[in-house]
Amino acid sequence: MSEPERPAAPNASDAAGRPKIGVDEWVASAEERHERSRGLGGLVSRGWEGSPAEAKLIVFVALASTLPFWMNEGELFSYGLYTLLYALLALGLNIVVGFAGLLDLGYVAFYGFGAYGYALFSSNHYGLHWQAEASIPLIVLGTAAVGLILGLASRRLLGDYLAIVTLFFAQAFVAFVNNSNPKVAGEGLTGGPNGIPGVDPLNFFGFKLHSTKQYYFFLLIVFSLAAVGLYFLNNSRTGRAWRALREDPLAAEAMSIPVNRLKILAFMFGAGTAGLTGTIFAAIQTGVVAGNFDVALLITIYAIVILGGLGSIAGVLFGAIVINVSTQFLAPSNDHPELKRWLFYGAILLIAAKIRPWSRTAAVFVGTAAFGFVVHAIASGISSDWTNGTVVDAGSAASAIRNWVIVPSGHTGFQTWAYIVLVAAIVVTSQLKGWWRMAALIPTLYWVAVVWENVLVQQSAVTALILFGVLLIALMQARPQGLLGTARVEIV
Amino acid sequence: MKKLSIVAMLGVLAVLATAATGASSATNALQAPTGSAGLANALVTCGTTRTIGIAYPATGPAASIGQQQFRWAQFFQTRWNKAHPKDKVKFVQGDTKLPDTAAALAVAHQFASNSSILGLVGPAGSQEVQDTVAVFKSAGLAVVSGSATRVLLTRSVGGDQRETPAGYFFRTVPNDGQQGDRVASYIASKLKKKRVYIIDDQESYSQGLADQVESNLKAKSGYTVGRDHVAQTVSDFSSVITRIPSNTQIVYIPWQLPPKAQLFYTQLRAAGKTATVFGSDGTFAPGTFTGAGSYVSAFPVDFNSKEIKAYRAAHGGQDEAFGLPTYSAAIVNAMAIMKACKNGTASRAEVRTNVKNIKVPKAASLLGFPVQFLSKNKGKQQGPGDMGGTADFAIFKIGAGGKYTRVG
Amino acid sequence: MHLPLLNIIDTVRQLGWGGAFELLRNGIVLGSVYALIALGYTMVYGILKLLNFAHGDIYMVGAFLGYGVLSILGGPLAPTIAMVPLILLMFLGGMLGSGVLGVVVERFAYRPLRNAPRIAPLISALGVSFFLANSALLLTHGERFNYAMYQLGGDPNTGLPGPLNQPAFSVAGRPVTVVQVLVVSTSIALMIALTLLVSRTRLGKAMRATSYDREAASMMGIDTDRVIASTFFIGSVLAGAAGVMFGLYIGETYYLMGFLAGLKAFTAAVVGGIGSIPGAMVGGLLIGVTEAYAAGYVGGQWSDVAVFGILILFMLLRPSGLFGAKTIQKV
Repeated sequence: MSEPERPAAPNASDAAGRPKIGVDEWVASAEERHERSRGLGGLVSRGWEGSPAEAKLIVFVALASTLPFWMNEGELFSYGLYTLLYALLALGLNIVVGFAGLLDLGYVAFYGFGAYGYALFSSNHYGLHWQAEASIPLIVLGTAAVGLILGLASRRLLGDYLAIVTLFFAQAFVAFVNNSNPKVAGEGLTGGPNGIPGVDPLNFFGFKLHSTKQYYFFLLIVFSLAAVGLYFLNNSRTGRAWRALREDPLAAEAMSIPVNRLKILAFMFGAGTAGLTGTIFAAIQTGVVAGNFDVALLITIYAIVILGGLGSIAGVLFGAIVINVSTQFLAPSNDHPELKRWLFYGAILLIAAKIRPWSRTAAVFVGTAAFGFVVHAIASGISSDWTNGTVVDAGSAASAIRNWVIVPSGHTGFQTWAYIVLVAAIVVTSQLKGWWRMAALIPTLYWVAVVWENVLVQQSAVTALILFGVLLIALMQARPQGLLGTARVEIV
Repeated sequence: MKKLSIVAMLGVLAVLATAATGASSATNALQAPTGSAGLANALVTCGTTRTIGIAYPATGPAASIGQQQFRWAQFFQTRWNKAHPKDKVKFVQGDTKLPDTAAALAVAHQFASNSSILGLVGPAGSQEVQDTVAVFKSAGLAVVSGSATRVLLTRSVGGDQRETPAGYFFRTVPNDGQQGDRVASYIASKLKKKRVYIIDDQESYSQGLADQVESNLKAKSGYTVGRDHVAQTVSDFSSVITRIPSNTQIVYIPWQLPPKAQLFYTQLRAAGKTATVFGSDGTFAPGTFTGAGSYVSAFPVDFNSKEIKAYRAAHGGQDEAFGLPTYSAAIVNAMAIMKACKNGTASRAEVRTNVKNIKVPKAASLLGFPVQFLSKNKGKQQGPGDMGGTADFAIFKIGAGGKYTRVG
Repeated sequence: MHLPLLNIIDTVRQLGWGGAFELLRNGIVLGSVYALIALGYTMVYGILKLLNFAHGDIYMVGAFLGYGVLSILGGPLAPTIAMVPLILLMFLGGMLGSGVLGVVVERFAYRPLRNAPRIAPLISALGVSFFLANSALLLTHGERFNYAMYQLGGDPNTGLPGPLNQPAFSVAGRPVTVVQVLVVSTSIALMIALTLLVSRTRLGKAMRATSYDREAASMMGIDTDRVIASTFFIGSVLAGAAGVMFGLYIGETYYLMGFLAGLKAFTAAVVGGIGSIPGAMVGGLLIGVTEAYAAGYVGGQWSDVAVFGILILFMLLRPSGLFGAKTIQKV
């Protein structure tokens, strides 16, 4: 009888991929943390961690209040107002996901509930024009009640099963609001795909908010109040109980923490915050439409919460700033194409400048430039229509770019295969090592420029989203615990 | 001590807020948050290239039709710039991500604050127009949309008020009411079929048309009108088709996406049902919707015109009709700006007045009728901002091989 | 005052047995497509505890690749080779391309986050989804492509169905077309192949071991990196096959199709019990059939709400899904 075949020894995988057996990551990274706290970056982070919470809040409010004085109205609206709106929304999600550790994929339904609720009470739809101080508390309480109902469902469901039921709930909400639109009191309740137009602006005791600046300050106040409230909540007994629930639900239950009640409480607080944000949003947009509450928004809010670090209130704000500012900056309606171009090239240069030693970096840059000129010469030699296309939105640098990058005109399939070749080139370059990698990097860098000029700049709206996706991937790899989250050891 | 400092800070904030808000005069419920009021009358130096904002859904579920609109606008730009080298136009794009109107609102505010923008093409969706027209109004820009077809935008209907302020909304496409009337009368008088089944795709455009045709037909005697809905994301229509009664003579599908109409047609035939399919201008796409024996209501496009042939050649032999009104909207803006810039400077208010009085000849508009806007109510469906003159829909029949022939 | 329940009963009676069979048929066909995508979800979840939100977009790429192969070979109305090798090539192109893409995605977006908290790869997956979907939008300019399989092999001028859409057999007077049989049988064949792979081969054993306990499996000499890459490859191959099948059956490819299908497949995987392979299969069929019957009997306005309502009730009654493993919670 032959011996059972021995399994082959596994190939050594990357250090990053190897499971850390028996290593406490926090202890192991003590050296790294010590290193990081030196220098300017260390000074900033130590200053940040050392200062009291009120100081951070006051500094933030002071800085935020200066925005209307140097931004024009459109920028204030898209960079300032929307950031605060998303930050407020993300605060609520932070309670459910960050504080209590419940994966709630139906969060935007509460946002929608608040918005539609306000629209029903303060618009031309049913002719009710309740003032905000009457309708908003009612809506917030109503949304919290819906959160209570959903929380009841969470008693039986754990983890990903809770996630899917909450997702169903959100999709049922959108389907109900957009398609079902039952007739109540003579009118379709939710207006179908047209939604409810003509919603009143916020009207507090007769004072109506109607300019972007007013809404911005109002949101700033609301956000600060919410942040303060949540800060106190987090440091209270309930907050500690939530943290225990998040880290280990079974142990928490064993320590006689009322787990079910806490879950429902988390849902209620989250729903209430979302409802409040919804009412403000409906007033800003002076209308409500089912398409405002789609899964894309859920993804954005989740990205904000996770990027900022789960459970951290300041982190939520930073996450909102990073995500919203980058999205709005990249959007084509932000009409600074030349700025975007230089930023893009600058980012590529920065990434390439990470090659050490400096001699290699210089070699790569010189090589790329030379490669470009050579390719350009060959292409224009083959046929002039390879290089006589128009460079879009280039301004002053148009001729310089035109002489280096090939910009064909009339070759219809070029965009598609150039893009695919670029993706393949990046994949291949990252797999090679040493001199081969340097050699592959040169044409890849040149091709990045070619694809930018020919494909990406032509469709700036789509490019914005592609770059956003790449940003998410890169940010998660750079800092998986989020900007202000703490590196946790997960005991599996 | 902690709580005291927070209270103090909030007090400061409250004072700041009241100080920064300044005088609040408007009490109009429709007024959205604004601040770029000064730009409405500001004079902008024209130069040789003028800026038009174009708001369209470049990404999101409506990207297939939004990008079509932009392609037509780009086509217009190339031809116009060649023909008018001293009055060139360039576009600033705004991605409105239909049906999420929050993006459209941000685009509206950014366009409003961009002092170089003199004219506006879009937004594409009726819901978007509803929510952004107040912002545009306060900045002095007029919405010139190629696809916002809801009747309520220009005309009060029943108990509902007109949704846009006069002089700030124009559309280069006849509205749902006109199209619905045309279709219903054709079905009743020419096709003479009485068993109709209407399926809408749960979007604003589709529901408006479906409601109009349904109410028109039901008002006549002897008509059996069934109604159903299907989501725009659905590609498998088998369940919906199962529900259609087998003796139905006409299935009216006022959808926005021609490929869906084609899928529906093939699946309907595969299921053995013989009803005639009747589409709307959203499904008007020779080359894509080729179901033989079907009808489509659309603008009376002349497929042999120079421009349409050039567009077809530049796009792989495919005709795309959804973006045609956007082409017309772009012409309207370009001509209005050119007129306002005769003296070297222009303001948005001037451009707006020119848009209101514009007259684009039939050959230039590509829609089969000249473009001019009403300033008063007309008939039962039209109001100020709608297309006046002879603008109306035509009925096409699709023959063997996918050929479109005008029949009504 | 409308009484929706009476309407449903009326519709059921009106549609009769034939209609009931048609709806069942529709549900099974689409459900098999969902099941294939759900399998990829569930396999990756079983091994990495990762919800791979980019999986739906891999399905979309598979559909586009199938369309690409079809265009290169002459297009649906004038194919240059016979039907059977054409379809085989489409499947091959779609499946291989998707498989490779899945492995590349794993290498770049998930492997560096292997030891990060569970929620970090989730965002990375969303980033990949954004990237893939919008790259497709960039390259296709948002156009909707039609496989036009209805006429494939037939005469485009007559408008009559080609061989794919001829009835293969009939039940209760309603036809079941060739393409529907093709989709369901290919699905079943692939699922059987997968089950055999997981239960009979060495790789399958390694996959099961890695999903139980990754550290222990690595200590036992299993190359976990390679096993994980293989899992992604197999899951993506199945998704690619599903994409080509959807193209053959319905015909439409659009850059957002992956998003919606991914959501449905995710639903199917969880409803069937996430991490369980038979669960994904049954879950997919369940979702497909529920949708078909809701759309058929309840109709337009309330069908979506009805589907979600039924699913919520189902999950409340069976909180860990159909085949969900009863995990013993260790303290």
